[in-house]
Amino acid sequence: MTRILPVKHQPGLPLDRLIKAEAPGAEAIEMDVLFVGAGPAGLAGAIELARLAKADGSLGDLNIGVLEKAGGLGEHNLSGAVVNPRPFRELFPDVPVEQLPFRQPVSGEAVYLLTEGGSVRIPTPPTMQNHGNYVASLSEIVRWMGGKAEELGVNLFAGFPVDSLLVDGTRVVGVRTTPAGLDREGNPADGYAEPTDLSAKVTVLTEGTRGPLAQAWRQWRGVGSPNPQIFALGVKEVWDVKKPLDRIIHTLGWPLPKDAFGGTFMYPMGPSQVAIGLVVGLDARDAGLDVHELLQKTKLHPLFRSYLEGGELVEWGAKTIPEGGFYALPDRFSGDGLLMAGDCLGTVEVASLKGIHYAVQSGMYAARAAFQALKAGDTGAAKLAAYDEMLRGSYVVADMKKRRNMRLAFKNGFYLGGIKSVLMTLTNGAFPGGQIHSESDAEEPREVRPRTPFVPDNTLTFSKVDAVFKSGNATRDTIPSHLVVGSDVPPEVADFLSHVCPAGVYERVGDELRVNPPNCVDCKATDVVGPRWTPREGGSGPKYRVM
Amino acid sequence: MKIAVCLKRVPDTTAKIVVGGDGKSIDESGVKFVPNPYDEYALEAAIALKEKAGAGETVVVALGTDAAQETIRTALAMGIDRGVLLQSPGSADGFEVAKAIAAELKGQGYDLILFGKMAVDDYNHQVGVMVAELLELPCVSAVSALTVEGGALTAEREIEGGVEQLACQLPAVVTADKGINTPRLPSLKGIMAAKKKPLETKPVSLGAGSITVTSLALPPERQAGKIVGEGPDAVPALVQLLRTEAKVI
Ligand SMILES: Cc1cc2nc3c(=O)[nH]c(=O)nc-3n(C[C@H](O)[C@H](O)[C@H](O)COP(=O)(O)OP(=O)(O)OC[C@H]3O[C@@H](n4cnc5c(N)ncnc54)[C@H](O)[C@@H]3O)c2cc1C
Repeated sequence: MTRILPVKHQPGLPLDRLIKAEAPGAEAIEMDVLFVGAGPAGLAGAIELARLAKADGSLGDLNIGVLEKAGGLGEHNLSGAVVNPRPFRELFPDVPVEQLPFRQPVSGEAVYLLTEGGSVRIPTPPTMQNHGNYVASLSEIVRWMGGKAEELGVNLFAGFPVDSLLVDGTRVVGVRTTPAGLDREGNPADGYAEPTDLSAKVTVLTEGTRGPLAQAWRQWRGVGSPNPQIFALGVKEVWDVKKPLDRIIHTLGWPLPKDAFGGTFMYPMGPSQVAIGLVVGLDARDAGLDVHELLQKTKLHPLFRSYLEGGELVEWGAKTIPEGGFYALPDRFSGDGLLMAGDCLGTVEVASLKGIHYAVQSGMYAARAAFQALKAGDTGAAKLAAYDEMLRGSYVVADMKKRRNMRLAFKNGFYLGGIKSVLMTLTNGAFPGGQIHSESDAEEPREVRPRTPFVPDNTLTFSKVDAVFKSGNATRDTIPSHLVVGSDVPPEVADFLSHVCPAGVYERVGDELRVNPPNCVDCKATDVVGPRWTPREGGSGPKYRVM
Repeated sequence: MKIAVCLKRVPDTTAKIVVGGDGKSIDESGVKFVPNPYDEYALEAAIALKEKAGAGETVVVALGTDAAQETIRTALAMGIDRGVLLQSPGSADGFEVAKAIAAELKGQGYDLILFGKMAVDDYNHQVGVMVAELLELPCVSAVSALTVEGGALTAEREIEGGVEQLACQLPAVVTADKGINTPRLPSLKGIMAAKKKPLETKPVSLGAGSITVTSLALPPERQAGKIVGEGPDAVPALVQLLRTEAKVI
């Protein structure tokens, strides 16, 4: 049997590009605090900070900036999503819950174990209970939060990806944006816009899952973690349907092989729309495991088909989720002039598939620490470490700690993992004692297994090309490649990458790897096990409306 | 030189359009709105002309709901100096819109008034030319190249199989076509500056007009392609289908 060790073919992180020991240029825009990424973490941080500054008054109006790589807010945000409203209540005390940008309350829930044609309802594990939570589209939440931030005077810069952190000694002093309007070879072409520098007393990384800047900063500052971060890939579709869904559904089992960790979800988004998705660990043994294809098969299962039949695919998208949990949290969450919050820090609790409210809460803590540091006139590592303390002392890390070994238990296969996870729940995480060690996903060996190609029916199931079209991706095709591919890519690795990437960026043509960068929807899946993703021209990638 | 650019907020051309419950308007929920792409050419032309002249003022005028403020801010971020929002839900009758815009522009000393050649949401091609008429100014429409010198403009228009060159004294109205320029993207500095630029809001009420939209329908869905056979043997089947299904022969 052919085996692949992905890490052998993976190029290193392009550190010189991501961290630059340069002062912001003379023309730099001066900010007090900059958030990199307008997701729930970044926007919650900006909102909290603007409010603190207004309430306190002693620092006057702070210059707060949020840089976002998507052309419009929300266009690069994707989630399930069942949302715990807890920090939203705290952040928006004047907004009644019914006016928060959620589609509907969770009205009922069911968990099923699937077989190819059947399903068995199983009791909902305590970790998956969602009473009191809301179904929402993260794109919509982000757009709404953006409006709130703008009202408070926050500078929102959509369409401006951060290319590198600018550093002085051990301190982060600002950022540089990516240039726009380069031709395929990387030379300025029609519509060229040069990079802009921004200086900041505090830079908060809120760049989401598998953020290259957070990775680079940690590598540069030598900030490790007990376990490496591990990831899952989620592929999701939103459908207009004729038959309303009356509950949220989670499933385990089919169509995943026994040695893959993951499951499907289907959530109602009002009476005539549903979200359906599949999340699978990127450590799956089968080199041919293809999450997009498996989601297509999932839709043909009677449980889902009955809702989707006669309906219409509205939108498609994909994104990774950091699943390492408590033991993958970095040893430090802050440094000189720098804070990290949300998915790029790893604040996701896998057993309940929740990250949004933790992202919001961590963004708020980051804002508080930044504000205290600004007031003290010292934004060095020691002052900003107040953030580490706040977050470690909060329910965010406490929740993660309770489920600290849950995901790791599944590393040895699904059924044993299931039993272990029950014991862990019963013991509040104490079983089996200690930390289960894990490798990074790229270090997990893969097996090439026989597979039958999947043929979409173009009614319920779709090819990757059609899927990418439904993500709204209209990246110009003359853009230079933003993907750093290793020099040695054997045919079986090309095959592997073509299955890992849900968007058809990688294809095996003959024995060669062909790369189609404009297809990329920034999910970061192949960055985890193969070629590196780097920031590219603003506004590239998907244009999600309801993800 | 004082230049006005008229701007409309329209649904993004890639947006998925759903017809509203009344059957004659679009359902705006969840739809992304953008500056009308032809108006972006007009904005770029105005900014470039002012940059070249080294002096002057550029003003953007938009007729629309409060939501159009965001569209105006985009124009200000590109480099336009100030904005005017004529607050109104608009009208299906372009003449009513033209009257309101003309009233705003009249007597303000504009040397040049720029429009996009049409709005991509209604394809009317009317407002710019009507404003010119109402202001008793010459109008050059669908311009694909524009220069201004010594109180006169020269313009090029792409006509069937060729290019037409025109000259005209200022003040004048010009409507812009593709190819005239590549609109710039707002810069970070531009976005910051736009927040501080003046944006005046004036409620206007439009007349009833003489045109109404009676219904709006989506184009028929494209059917999946059909393979009727191969080679000469397939011809009869193809002809049959073209007659009965597609009704083209
Ligand atoms: C399939 C799936 C289902 C999920 N289901 C749920 C659920 O049901 N409930 C729940 O609570 N959580 C769920 N999560 C997790 C949740 O979505 C995340 O935890 C949450 O979105 C994290 O928020 P964030 O602000 O940290 O990152 P993000 O939401 O990813 O936002 C980061 C932002 O930064 C931007 N960015 C990145 N790099 C740059 C750069 N260099 N320059 C500028 N901008 C940049 C990105 O474009 C993005 O807008 C799910 C995730 C997935 C993928």
